[in-house]
Order: sequence, then structure tokens, then C-alpha cells
Amino acid sequence: MIALVRYALAVMLHSQRYLAPVLLFLAVLAVFTSNDPGPVLPVYALAAAALFSCAAWLTMTLLNIEEPVQRAITAVSAGGSLRALLSWVCVAVLDCLVLSALALLFPWVDGHSVSGVELLVGVEALVTCALSGVAIGLVCSRLVIRRPGYALLTALGLVLLLVLVRGLPPVNPMFRLLAGTGRPAGLVTSAGALTGVAVLLLVLGVTVTQLVATRRD
Amino acid sequence: MLTLVGVGKRYGRGDWVLSDVDLQLPPAMVAAITGRNGSGKSTLLRMLVGVSRPSLGRITGRPDPVGYVPDRFPATERLSALAYLTHLGRVRGLTTAAARARAADLLDRLSLVGGPHTPLRLLSKGNVQKVALAQALLIRPALLVLDEPWSGLDATSHGVLAEIIAEVAAGGGTVVFTDHRESVTRANAAQVHLIEGGRLSRLSTLPSVAAAAMVLLSGNGNHSDTAAALPGVLATTTEDGLVRVEVAERQCDALLLAALRAGWSVREVRRTPAVAPVDSDGGEQT
Repeated sequence: MIALVRYALAVMLHSQRYLAPVLLFLAVLAVFTSNDPGPVLPVYALAAAALFSCAAWLTMTLLNIEEPVQRAITAVSAGGSLRALLSWVCVAVLDCLVLSALALLFPWVDGHSVSGVELLVGVEALVTCALSGVAIGLVCSRLVIRRPGYALLTALGLVLLLVLVRGLPPVNPMFRLLAGTGRPAGLVTSAGALTGVAVLLLVLGVTVTQLVATRRD
Repeated sequence: MLTLVGVGKRYGRGDWVLSDVDLQLPPAMVAAITGRNGSGKSTLLRMLVGVSRPSLGRITGRPDPVGYVPDRFPATERLSALAYLTHLGRVRGLTTAAARARAADLLDRLSLVGGPHTPLRLLSKGNVQKVALAQALLIRPALLVLDEPWSGLDATSHGVLAEIIAEVAAGGGTVVFTDHRESVTRANAAQVHLIEGGRLSRLSTLPSVAAAAMVLLSGNGNHSDTAAALPGVLATTTEDGLVRVEVAERQCDALLLAALRAGWSVREVRRTPAVAPVDSDGGEQT
């Protein structure tokens, strides 16, 4: 599996297609979170929202790099298409973890005071949004939706749905937690539960993608 | 043994691309699939390697590891030939050093032009095809499946490809390839199958080394199926109301004896000419 992830990383780096979503994320981070003297949790909420949509875009892009024939070769070499798919999921999650680390450090560099508990809640929020975004990117990739236009519209719709529908876990409740007035210490457990939901969402996304892709082949 | 039983394939609710395909591919067998463009050869190969699932029927006993050489390798990859092969070698379980050495060996043997460090997308079609071939051979495959492997390769590589196919078979591997030229399939394969109208039929078996004999029989209702039960039969066809049986030369006497006992009448016995050398674009005979 490590060899497979290394291969996927190499393909990603050579293709350079990761740049657009990553640059968008960094730009949003820089514009919306600097010069904000207030509490740090709303800053993390903004970063998590940006990461959510960029993770979906990035994952779609990553899964579309390999041509179908090339993916077939990789699947045969890896001993199954699920392993090949999982390697791309690993790469997408790794990318998102790097972006999350930047988002966590950025307010601190910018002069905010960040307590340990706030950092923990920030990690939970970013990981939740990253995993949910990856799940959306999976089911909107070429493996599931062939036509790029429909894929893009579906992705946009799903992102908006998860952000806007009140109380629909895990993304919307996470934003409400972070924007609320509760003490950070009280947020750790409920935010953690939402992270758990995001993990389940990712598992669901992988399952759906794999089922549709193998059915279609 | 790789066995297909009643395999059918269609995409979505479309027409059946293949139906009722029965096929047995024992170890050390080289089989060719021929048929017109779009007849379903590639679809069958994709099912053989497990990339695609049959809509009906079962495929069992797929040997492992599998090497798959697709028809057209996409020329979008920016990795260099050597880097790509090294990565895939590691995916196959080789160490970095071993994968690199093996990749370099294969590219050398296939005489890749343009250099191992050129990005794949800048290589010519034939050279990309060589990389596609090399990736299937990074570890010795127990099942090697090649889709139109001769197309795009230059004359020198034709010989190397024939050698490679023979080597894999000699090592106990099963080899399946497609080609639309009869000269190529006959020279390299022990079994030739034709796909026509979504159905697979066996054309003939011509062992490329052992000489064969042809026997014309009549009687027993001229059922070629009955004749197929005789000892040593490689293939049967019905021809002008007679049953034409192909048999390995050294089993010819045993077959004649059994045929006469079973009530057949022998009309003609002929030694089939050794397989003709392949024309200039068909590679060399092994």
C-alpha cells in the first residue's frame, strides 16, 4: 500500500493539477483570517469551510488524473481496484492534513493566542471538513459521474447542502459549534462526535464510488 | 486453471457485447483471440484480468500475478518511463533497487528509443507500447494478457515480443493475446479463438512446434462432436459433409484405430504442412 501511495503522490506532483484547489485554499486563508483580532475559533471555522470545498475539488481532480486504461493497469498491478482507489483517498487525506496544519498554525503566527483546547477543537473541525470534502469529491469523480459538467454541479450542490442545511451533520453543526458562545472545553466531545460522523461519511463515499465504478466497468 | 463458464457481458442496459463464452486456459497455454474491430476482444481481455466483471457467468481460477498490456496506453503521463516502471515494480512488491534494475533491463531488451528518462507523454506510440509491455513483465506473470501487442511495435520488437510470450508460457504461465492477422495468431498461439456476433468459437489448434496430421472421416452421422471424443484430437470441423479432424502426428495411429473401431470410415489422412513462416510484419516463429 505504501508503494501505491507513493506512486499516486508522484503522479499527483507531476500532473500539478493539485495546485489550483490548494492555491485557492491558501488565498482564502490569507484574505479572510488575517488581521482578525477576535477569538480564534471563528477563524478556524472559516478555514474549515474553505478546506471543505477545496478538499472536494482536490479529490475530484486527483481521481480524474489517471486515465481509465492507466487506472486498469494500476489496479491489476495492485491486485484490485479497491486498493488503487484507497491509495488516492490516502493521498487526498494526506494533502488535506498538510493544509489543515497550515490552517492551524496560521492564526498563531498571525498573533492570536491559541489555547490547547482551542487547538484541539480546531483540529476536529478541520479534519471533519476535510474528510467530508474528500467524500464528496469521491462521489463526484469521473468514476461515478462521467460528464464533467454534471459532476461539478453535483459537487457544488452537495457542498452547499452540507454547509447550509441546518443541523445536517457533520459540517453545518460544526460551524454552529465554533460560532457559538460555548466554552471551548465543552466543545471537544460534540466536535469529536461530528468528526466520527465525517469518518463514516468518507467510508460511505469510498463504498459508493467503488460499487459504481466496478459495476460500470 | 483459468476457466470461463457461460460468461456474458453488456454495459448498462445496452446490447450484449459477449454471450455464452466458455473458455479454459490451462497453464503454459498460449491462446489467441481474433475478431473484427469492436467484436468484443478487449472486453473479454478486461474480464480475463479482472478489471471488468462479467454480467453473467463465472470466471474462476485466475492465476496470480497478472500482467495486463492494454491496447492503447494513454499518453498523458508525465512520469518518465523508468520512474513509472520503478513505481509499478514497487507496487508489485519489489524493492526500489530491484524494480529499477528490472525496469532498466526490460527497456533495454525492448530497445526503448527516446531514453528511459523521457516523460511517457513525449514518447512515440511504439515506445509507449514498449513501456506498457514492460510494466506487465516486472515480475514474471502467471497470466499475461496482451491486447493487440504487435500493433505499433517495430520489426525488431516483434521478435522480442514473440520470445517473451514463449518464455512466459515455458515458465508455466498462461498467455492470451489478440490480433486480427491470422499469420500472427497462428505463429504464436496454440489455440485460436474467434469472436463473432458476441460468441466465442475455437478455430483450430496448431501446436507451433509439434507436427500435426489431418484426417477426414465420414459416418456416425458426421457429427464433429462425436469425433472430438477420439483420442488425441486437437480440433474438429465439418467440411463438405465430412468431419475433418486435426491430431498431433504421433497420436495419429491411435486415433485411426479408435476411429475405425468406433465405426467411422477413414477417407483421407494427410500431414498438415508445418506452420508457414510469418510474413515480414508478423514477427518470427518460435
